[in-house]
Amino acid sequence: MNRSLRLIAALGMLALPAAAQAQSITGSIAASADIATVFSFGAPSPLNFGSIVPGTAAAGSGYIPLSRNVGVIYSLPDGATTGQLSGPGPAITPSYTCGVGSTSTTIVSAFSSCNGTTSVLTLSSPTGTLTEYVIFNGSLTAAQTNTVPGTYSGTIRVTATAN
Amino acid sequence: MTSRTGRGLLVALLLASWPSQTDAQSAKSVSINPVQSLSFGLLLPDRREAVRVTDVARRAVVALSGNGPVDVALVLPTSLETPTGERITLQFSAGDAALLTTSGSTIGTLDPLQVNRVQLGNDRTVLFVLGGTAITNATTHPGHYTARVALLVNQPGT
Repeated sequence: MNRSLRLIAALGMLALPAAAQAQSITGSIAASADIATVFSFGAPSPLNFGSIVPGTAAAGSGYIPLSRNVGVIYSLPDGATTGQLSGPGPAITPSYTCGVGSTSTTIVSAFSSCNGTTSVLTLSSPTGTLTEYVIFNGSLTAAQTNTVPGTYSGTIRVTATAN
Repeated sequence: MTSRTGRGLLVALLLASWPSQTDAQSAKSVSINPVQSLSFGLLLPDRREAVRVTDVARRAVVALSGNGPVDVALVLPTSLETPTGERITLQFSAGDAALLTTSGSTIGTLDPLQVNRVQLGNDRTVLFVLGGTAITNATTHPGHYTARVALLVNQPGT
């Protein structure tokens, strides 16, 4: 067999395996999921000074839980009138300490002000979903409670903005 | 046999082999057409969400058509990811895939972790559907997570 014949034979041998070759095709499927933002207040626990004997000091504590998996900016939309108590006598403005804690009893991150009009605390995104507590501890001096008898009430409004 | 005679015979054989190969391939053509992606939707952290093959709204659907037996294999991702690399674990198990007729009747349940031999016939279209499970944890951040499943369809040689 000469060289050209050997070449044709080699081509023929290459062609035969090709005829039995498997056919393959590839496709692609997209998969997706969206993780929701968790950002909601829970049920508040009211701050209640209780029944006070006029002319004695009083204290109370309240909180509202916030569950979140993003950062947050807290603010107090009512500013100077936050938590002011109204009743039959003159308005009473308790003095407050306020902030956020991982439990409902202890403030870990204090608000810069308990009656400021701008943002009072910014917290970064947590590593996971958490529940923290916005806590207000209020106190009344003896002089403040020496007033007209009756029920005094008010509202502490807290705004949480996802950040 | 002279070299001239032998050469002629081999050329003839070689030429004869080309048309037969072409015929075989055109008769065996298979097509893949993605119809619907696998969508877990909106998930909360620290949850396990399964998409069943019966979940018509969220399962993946791929149309297969052609003739003869084909081997269907999947390259399954282990997670969904955000562009910044955050992940949600994905799990697939036997029964997370199925073959349906275009009218929705189940032809058979498939194991997406295995190579599945599927018989295609008369160029009719069948639907390959895929479900799966996404597992979020407490530290899963909000965002859009994606992945791709590669579908390999191999038609065995004759």
